[in-house]
Amino acid sequence: MKRKELILHLIGEVSNYLLENNPKRLVISLHQEEDGLHLSVLDDNPHSDEEIEKIDHALNSKKRPELAGYYGAMTGHDMLGASRLKLLGWQVKHCDVSRTRNGIMIDIWLGGDRFESDQFTIPRKEQK
Amino acid sequence: MFSFIITGIAADGAAAAFGGFLDIQFQPARLISDFMSTSGIGASFINAAAVGAVGLILIVLSKVQLSGSTFAAIFTMMGFALFGKTPVNIIPIIIGVYISGKLIGKSFSEYIIIALFGTALGPLVSLVTCELGLSGLSAIAVGTIAGMATGFLLPAIAVAMLHFHQGYNLYNLGLSCGFFALFAAALIRTGGHTFEGLLLWHTEDSVILTFLVPVLSLILILTGLFSGGRRSLKDLMAIQKHSGRLPSDFMDMESMEGALLNAGLIGLAGSLYILLIGGDFNGPTIGGLLTIMGFGAFGTHLRNSWPVVLGVILATLLFGKSLTAPGAILAAIFCTTLAPLAGAFGILTGLIAGFIHLVLVHQTGSWQGGMNLYNNGFAGGLTAAFIVSVIAWYRSKESGFK
Repeated sequence: MKRKELILHLIGEVSNYLLENNPKRLVISLHQEEDGLHLSVLDDNPHSDEEIEKIDHALNSKKRPELAGYYGAMTGHDMLGASRLKLLGWQVKHCDVSRTRNGIMIDIWLGGDRFESDQFTIPRKEQK
Repeated sequence: MFSFIITGIAADGAAAAFGGFLDIQFQPARLISDFMSTSGIGASFINAAAVGAVGLILIVLSKVQLSGSTFAAIFTMMGFALFGKTPVNIIPIIIGVYISGKLIGKSFSEYIIIALFGTALGPLVSLVTCELGLSGLSAIAVGTIAGMATGFLLPAIAVAMLHFHQGYNLYNLGLSCGFFALFAAALIRTGGHTFEGLLLWHTEDSVILTFLVPVLSLILILTGLFSGGRRSLKDLMAIQKHSGRLPSDFMDMESMEGALLNAGLIGLAGSLYILLIGGDFNGPTIGGLLTIMGFGAFGTHLRNSWPVVLGVILATLLFGKSLTAPGAILAAIFCTTLAPLAGAFGILTGLIAGFIHLVLVHQTGSWQGGMNLYNNGFAGGLTAAFIVSVIAWYRSKESGFK
């Protein structure tokens, strides 16, 4: 899959999740490097601690190559029905879910073995 | 697997069971070829254990964890090895999937689900080897190449078919293999071959066959209860709330104990249905029960299944067919491939899906020459795509803007 298609599918799935609660504002920020990428998606809806924990659990679930390589193709593609963040979680390197003033921010890092998110020009520590 | 070997030897004796097992390897295996009818109960169980062992070895070698999907795959492979899969006819397909992955830089672990379920096209290998008039080494060589070519193309088709029904058909490889088999059957027909209908259906009553699945189900239930205690019951209830849409790994989403309990209950419910209608316990029906038990860890549960099964039963009765006829009994078991539709869109959708499924599944077998063992997955995939299309179209009627 081309990188552009992969990014589109990632954005599609995570946006699908956040749009289910009909936010007034949804901001998508993408930063790309040769070895990886950082995707940030913010909304302005209230989310409970329990929900944030569920999102974090789904996005940081154990890597499942047998499911990611096959069912991962549905990520951000098949939108009839609820979004499935686990499809993302099986494929990405790391995710963070944090509260913002009005809503939440979902940070997703994706890349090869050489990829280190801290080497990004927008490092994680500056995001918080 | 050991229990299958022991059951096989107990049923017919070691010599007959292993002799029959060798005999099975080079028989036509198209739908419906109940190996119990052609080679005996013992041989069928030895074959099922051998096919299950192939799957398990692949899972271990590819370092994939035993989970809902692999649990379902092993149960399905063993079930269909009672009426179609053999080690000889599945290995070329698995090799083909491996080569396909290599070509596009995917590890085998990423394609192992496709490789395991893709063995549904084993009868294509058997057909080319045994039924097209080839003989000796050339038959084996051509059959092997056909199987490898099949496996090579399956990943591309399997991914495309997922999008077709959007994950609402649990047996996606059934649809994928059926789609491929349409082309293969057309090619073979164009070459001058005529597909003769097969209906080899074991009808003799046997205590072993009647009680095999209920006993296995009880073992799963007791394992779940003893290892998980009350938590397994809580997880079982939580499983009933999931839609079951692909991929729903209940072992991961809830717990292994809850999933085992769910699988056991499904096995008991399926067995009870066959007992109540007076159906036969044979290779295809036991294979079907093992399959739905496997998918008890990967999408099927009682709450999302009953509307679809009821839809099949109503359609069967409405069209004046017998509930114990081979096609109807298999449709009632395997229609649970459409359980996610009931889980996601409600009882009425499930009933309609079951009804359409019964109508369609009686036709799809001849379309694909009986070479795709997951014929219900094929019909189920077409049914799911049809229903999903209508729902998606209806939901597009308004965007929500004033």
